[in-house]
Amino acid sequence: MTTVLKTKELQKQFGSLTAVDRVSLEFDDDEITSIIGPNGAGKTTFYNLLTGVLQPTDGKIWLQKNGDLKDITTLEPHEVAQAGLSRSYQITNIFEGLTVRENVRVARISHDNSRMDFRSRADSDDEMERDIDDILALTNLEEMAEVPCDELSHGEKRTVEIALALSIEPNVFLLDEPTAGMNPTETTKIVSLIQQLNRDVDSTFVVTEHNMDFVTDISDRIVVLAEGAVLADGVPEKVLNDERVTKAYLGSEST
Amino acid sequence: MSSDTEGISDRVTAFGYQAVSEGWTRQRVSILVALGLVLLAFGPSFQVYLFTEFLIIALFALAFNLLYGYTGLLSFGHGLFFAGGSYGFAIVLRDLGPVITDTVGSALGPLITIGVGAIVGVALVLVIAIPVGWLSVRLEEIYFALITLAFGMLGFSVIIQNPAGITNGTDGILVLLGTIELAGMEIRLGDRQVYYFFTLAIVATSTYAIWRIVTSPFGVVCKAIRESPDRAKALGIDVTHHRWMTFIISAIFVAVAGVLMAGLANVASPYQSHWSTSAIPVVATVIGGATFFAGPIAGAFVYLYVRWGISRFPALEAHWELFFGALLIAVVLYFKAGAVGGILVLRDRLRKTMGNKTETDSETGGENR
Amino acid sequence: MILTNLVPLIGIADIIVGLSLGSRLFLIAVGLSLIFGVLGVLNFAHGGLYMLGAYFALAVTTSIVDNFWIAVVVGALAVGFVGVLIEVSTIRPLYERAESDLDQLIVTFGFVLILHEAVRFIWGSQPYSMDPPAVFDFSVQIGSQFNAYRLFVIVMAFFVMVGLWLFVNKTYFGSLVRGTSSDREMASMLGVDVSRLYTGVFFLGAFLAGLGGALSAPLQSMSPALGDQVIIDAFIVVVIGGLGSMSGAFVGAMFIGLLQSIGPQFIAAGHIAIPFLAMVLVLLFKPEGLFGGIGE
Repeated sequence: MTTVLKTKELQKQFGSLTAVDRVSLEFDDDEITSIIGPNGAGKTTFYNLLTGVLQPTDGKIWLQKNGDLKDITTLEPHEVAQAGLSRSYQITNIFEGLTVRENVRVARISHDNSRMDFRSRADSDDEMERDIDDILALTNLEEMAEVPCDELSHGEKRTVEIALALSIEPNVFLLDEPTAGMNPTETTKIVSLIQQLNRDVDSTFVVTEHNMDFVTDISDRIVVLAEGAVLADGVPEKVLNDERVTKAYLGSEST
Repeated sequence: MSSDTEGISDRVTAFGYQAVSEGWTRQRVSILVALGLVLLAFGPSFQVYLFTEFLIIALFALAFNLLYGYTGLLSFGHGLFFAGGSYGFAIVLRDLGPVITDTVGSALGPLITIGVGAIVGVALVLVIAIPVGWLSVRLEEIYFALITLAFGMLGFSVIIQNPAGITNGTDGILVLLGTIELAGMEIRLGDRQVYYFFTLAIVATSTYAIWRIVTSPFGVVCKAIRESPDRAKALGIDVTHHRWMTFIISAIFVAVAGVLMAGLANVASPYQSHWSTSAIPVVATVIGGATFFAGPIAGAFVYLYVRWGISRFPALEAHWELFFGALLIAVVLYFKAGAVGGILVLRDRLRKTMGNKTETDSETGGENR
Repeated sequence: MILTNLVPLIGIADIIVGLSLGSRLFLIAVGLSLIFGVLGVLNFAHGGLYMLGAYFALAVTTSIVDNFWIAVVVGALAVGFVGVLIEVSTIRPLYERAESDLDQLIVTFGFVLILHEAVRFIWGSQPYSMDPPAVFDFSVQIGSQFNAYRLFVIVMAFFVMVGLWLFVNKTYFGSLVRGTSSDREMASMLGVDVSRLYTGVFFLGAFLAGLGGALSAPLQSMSPALGDQVIIDAFIVVVIGGLGSMSGAFVGAMFIGLLQSIGPQFIAAGHIAIPFLAMVLVLLFKPEGLFGGIGE
């Protein structure tokens, strides 16, 4: 068990509001961690700090690359992605005007470092096309490969969301409420997809969620955030029976 | 149908057969177009001029759309590069032309001068576009439009000031292409037919180059950036850098159009850098349909030929501005697919009514989704 | 020290001229700024609206009643209504669209063409002029000469500035404007009829542009090219002063106005380029403008 992602005393202030409060966490490979907490607990801000979208007011972030822990605190979002940290968004953020296949292709082009190639045809690299096929197969998106994403259902779009994040072959996978806005059928599909990915893909998963069934089903470990700080951290049975956790949730609504 | 061992003549024959036997296929249309392009050269002199101008504006708009339709950045200052190409070209012809002709001889001198002029025009624009682009792509949307507008007008005001006597202020610089001798024949380079073929060759090559670029991995990344810059960043794409590169490539092709324009209009004028010139590719592209590769071409056609058409009727008193203003608004509000979109819709309807299913042309037919 | 050396070279008359140029720029720029600050629309056609104000005022004095004051008021109101027409018919349908900023810019550019052509069609291309109101139509001599009407224009601009400030900061409608500009969704959830508010702001912006045009009519010759000439200056002012800031529009406008009247005497070459250079620098280093923020 090696540490793949680590934060130390990570802090984010917006004026007088402390959104993320001295969060120190270590994530190990082969572990699925769920981050839960009431709305406004700072989960998305935490993700934004990790991925370089926001700069922390204080604290540091390390990501494992080639066996070493690299300090990624000040990196730009695209550099963080290149270092091996990928994310999916809570509010679906995919390339709506492009087809599913093209979406994945963009990610593969970035991964293969061929974005400055303006001489070959984008779809002429057989090896890349095979990689895309693999990803589409893995995420069960083969049937809608040629469909423009703005014509997909919400659940299908959220699946593309995950496929995109997957396509850059990250070390660590941050999923931000993957089941957001989904009906039960779609939720079940996504849950089994994530479980399957965890088996098939060599990445570490960190998931924020409100859906408790999902959390208890798949997590090896649960971290609870409340008001920006870590409230509890441990195996599901322990954390979910912790009084402070239930109090934090009763204080505000949970889904 | 054709194997690798078949010769060119066999392939052309096969092409011809296909064209003739299968009705309105791609092949038939392209033969007609090629024929038309050649025949045009023998039409009325003014029409040749107008069509040459259309080709140049089409290139201008295509290059503009690389930045707008494909990458999502609206520049209101592309005239800067148009002027850059023209002035680079014009200055070489004026100042270096005599030197080159003295060195190389008057038979081929003018031709070499044009070559050098073109290279200098493009190089000048490259030198300008690199820093201007680097600075501009740091801004988004409206602010990008404003800063490109400012740079364009900055160029205009600098040119008008006639720094070091180079640009000749508001009068611009006269461009005379000269005459060469080739295989015993005297060819006047400024002759409309000659210049038409010359422009056709360059614009066709440039168009092909732009097509290759938009269908390459580079182009796919451009589209992704247009759709969601944040998502692109999260996938490891340095969006700012990519926009910068696209800006530079766009500027280069605009420079080519500028060089061609100087030769056609026989003048490099400061108004080429004015925002009113920068607005031309915007109008052409929007009307033609920014979401299609051929959109800017169709829009340039509409822009030039409707203007010309309206000017033929004194009763309309050249009300082309009113017409285009209204057209622009109508397209943006109701029909963003523009002229090309309209043509495709018509074609599909025609196909349905004729029950013609010989082609497997997808609905998107070149749409840069 | 530098100032005392310059003063003999800059006549008071030049300053007055510069300030009056700045005043008319202020009237266009503040409307443009207001519309951008609240609606997020950069109205390319604002110069055209200014031009309409001048022509409408002229039309009133020549065809309806030869009273300057009535002409100005009627002209400005008429332009306000033209603004409403533009907003309701072409800009309102675009609010709901994502990525609507650039679409709106293109639509307003369409109106640049339409207004230019409309003016040319109705009044022709020849330049017109209008006399200042008799009560102010006399020359003042301080150093060199200038028309006293210019002083009136400067004073008017000042009153408009104060009036606007009071309006935005002290009235109910003004508070709606301030609130909505920072958060449109919030405002509509609070029950504000955002559509009507937007139309109202557009009316105000257009009215101000028309007022500027009508008031400036005696100071310049009118031609269909007026709108185009003025919109670029307005953009410069608004960028430098801050998109959405009224005091920024005031300071920026005076700066550009003075630059136009005094500049040519000092910087023979390049005085045209300076405003654009300033625009580039502000956009790069302080895009929200030197003053930034609405109501300030």
